[in-house]
Amino acid sequence: MNRLWYMRIWCNYKARLGIIIVGSFIIIALIGPIFFEDPNAYVDTPLLEPSFSHLFGTTGQGQDVFAQTIAGARATLFIGFGSGFLVVLFGLIVGSVAGYFGKRIDNILSLLINIFLLMPGLPLMVIIAAWLPPGPFSIMGVLVFTGWAWNARVLRSQVLSLREIDYVNASIIIGESNMKVIIYQIWPQMLSLIMASFIGATVYSIGAQVGLEFLGLGDVDKVTWGNNLYWATNDLALLTGSWWTFVPTGLGIALVSFGLTLINYGIDEIANPRLLSERTLKTRLSTLYDRNGSTPVAKDLYGK
Amino acid sequence: MENKILQINNLSVDFLSDDISTNAVKDFSIYINKNEVFGLVGESGSGKSTVVKSILRILPAPGVITNGDIKFQNQDILNLDENELSSLRWSQISLVKQKALNSLNPLMRIKNQIIDTIRAHEKITTTDAIERCNYLMDLVEIDRTYLNNYPHELSGGMRQRVVIAIALALKPKLIIMDEPTTALDVVVEKEIILKILDLKSQLGFSILFITHDLNLILGFADRVGVMLKGQLVDLDSAEKIKSGGNDEYTKKLINSIPQVSNDNQAKTDNNTSVLMQIIDLQKVYNLNSSLFSSDKIHAIDGISFNIYKNEILGLVGESGSGKSTISKVLTKLIDFNGGKILFDGKNITKILNNKDLLKYRKKVQMIFQDAFASLNSIHTVYHHLSRPILIHQSYSNYSKVERDVIIKKQIIAILEEVDLTPAESFLYKFPHEMSGGERQRVSLARALLVRPDLLIADEPTSMLDMSIRMDILDLLKNLQIKKGISILYITHDIASACYLSNRLIVLKNGKINESGDTSEIITNPKDDYTKLLMNSCQSDWIKNRS
Repeated sequence: MNRLWYMRIWCNYKARLGIIIVGSFIIIALIGPIFFEDPNAYVDTPLLEPSFSHLFGTTGQGQDVFAQTIAGARATLFIGFGSGFLVVLFGLIVGSVAGYFGKRIDNILSLLINIFLLMPGLPLMVIIAAWLPPGPFSIMGVLVFTGWAWNARVLRSQVLSLREIDYVNASIIIGESNMKVIIYQIWPQMLSLIMASFIGATVYSIGAQVGLEFLGLGDVDKVTWGNNLYWATNDLALLTGSWWTFVPTGLGIALVSFGLTLINYGIDEIANPRLLSERTLKTRLSTLYDRNGSTPVAKDLYGK
Repeated sequence: MENKILQINNLSVDFLSDDISTNAVKDFSIYINKNEVFGLVGESGSGKSTVVKSILRILPAPGVITNGDIKFQNQDILNLDENELSSLRWSQISLVKQKALNSLNPLMRIKNQIIDTIRAHEKITTTDAIERCNYLMDLVEIDRTYLNNYPHELSGGMRQRVVIAIALALKPKLIIMDEPTTALDVVVEKEIILKILDLKSQLGFSILFITHDLNLILGFADRVGVMLKGQLVDLDSAEKIKSGGNDEYTKKLINSIPQVSNDNQAKTDNNTSVLMQIIDLQKVYNLNSSLFSSDKIHAIDGISFNIYKNEILGLVGESGSGKSTISKVLTKLIDFNGGKILFDGKNITKILNNKDLLKYRKKVQMIFQDAFASLNSIHTVYHHLSRPILIHQSYSNYSKVERDVIIKKQIIAILEEVDLTPAESFLYKFPHEMSGGERQRVSLARALLVRPDLLIADEPTSMLDMSIRMDILDLLKNLQIKKGISILYITHDIASACYLSNRLIVLKNGKINESGDTSEIITNPKDDYTKLLMNSCQSDWIKNRS
């Protein structure tokens, strides 16, 4: 990737759509809650259908669903992106050290990674979350603790292959310190993988965190998307047919994950130009081009 | 048309993209006669592989054929549909690619790969198929027992023979060989080519031989085409091309073939002192090391030699001879298992702390084979060249602005020294904006900025295009004289080593086969293996052998 990688991501329509979706959710999460004093406040009769006074209706506790959805976005996205970031950072450091130094250090760290990979993630997550005092940082800790190993393994293998490339050797030979070689020579080359890992880890974190909170393992007094769903079931939303108590939150989760996945696809196309060129041929040659067929012949391409 | 098996007229191929389309091949016309070896020569990026893939219509996206026709035995390949194409491929035209290991399925036995190929086109009973396998193995002179082996159990040369056997399986009329021997050692390469020619006279097929190595193709092709930037610039009989061809570019290529000759030897100074002493060096690699057993490979098996001050020492050997391991050991990228290395009289295994290591790094520098891989694609030339200055020189007395001015001055000076002019225009270029030769000069500049006593050059020209190899060799030679440094020139090509170095060491299987003054070895090689290497790089090697 060259220096204009961010421009190339923006020029890719899948990535751009993803960035717009995720970006608008982030903006809503940042500035939205300013307009609502307390999303937990009792505002009206419980289980009111959506109306102009309460855009998304009210919950079983008589709270405004619109306010809760927006306030929930802030907490959920913060924990999602935060633990996504920490998972990748931790994985990157462990993976880089293991892949770069090799030999005994690699053996020990790989053993550690494998142990964490072998541990059953979901039950462990539930147990630790139940044991720790409930709260956003506990959930973040649980997600990082159970999630870092996979990224460490993927990033380690990339470091391992980049380690053998001549520019890394050249840097070592001119006397660069190991840390500088990793940070300036190896990491920039892995940027697309790091970005993809970060986005993947974020999608995973959002899902896992919502799942934990839905089970009641979060701090149920806080307003998050997971807790919104927890309270919706608690107030028998399905039995009472009050769909508006869980659909907005569910849509929010789905849209953010969708947006993030689109960004990932976009990065994939940029990092793997072949996907892009197949699409180009498809649009410019239409029926002449078949992905599994022979090289197309287009003698009148330039309108001769 | 009677005698022509393949005729390409005005072929144009474009690579489409959303904004700009690149013209990879333009108005390309050749024909190939029956029973002929046609050589197509060009540097990397000249479009020769694009032509090959267009003939078989296997050029991947975004390639599109935009003009011309390709007639194979009176049918136009460009008008065929998918079914006709797949029955044509392999049964009429087959392809041998550069890397045999990539052409073979690592999970299938050789036998099954051959049978698969046959069965894709013919209905054949198992006994008949095995019969055919045996016949093919006999043709390429591999023992039939290897049919039950997997590709990784065969040597590089044998794998390429298997690929050729598969290419012959359906008795095609034309075999396209796309750099079939580039990944092989010089000696094996010549054996494979003799085998191909032998098979051609037995079975009667035409060969389109693609290569970047003009010296090689001139030895056995009937006619040769020269490609440059997607166009055919020269086309004539091999004899005519050998005597200079019809184009300036051909002449340039011909002149850049290094010859084993005695003319350009700098004389060795007798009273020079030793810079580096390598005593009984051993390096063992552990393969498949498990708890109970481990296979060991002696990459370097007891090697002793000296590098003197102010000389160019050539280290010649095939792949697997241990020459790259030596470069890694000498630059302290890897440890060694036995023996001693003394640099300026000091034992380099005693370097333990970072400060001493940095001192050693200042003395010994290296340039690499792959000019593209030795520069990081995300950093500019300025970044690459400022690092050695910042690491090895102290600027604590200067402000940041003053420091940057001094660094820039040094970088410009060194760029001019390696003939990259105007130097200012290269400062902020990225590696992908430069040609292979320019990139190699930047890596050379980076190594020289450290002001080393010893420069290790590990195949610095083998990945470069033919026409610029000589320039880099000359540059190394001039710099050595100007700066008074020692150069350890590592190569598989004995001709270029003869051109450059004062003394030669010939390595084989981790041991020194022969060493001495270059002129002595050229005039009187004692070892058979050295003779074989020297013979292999002559353009008339075929005559010398038979």
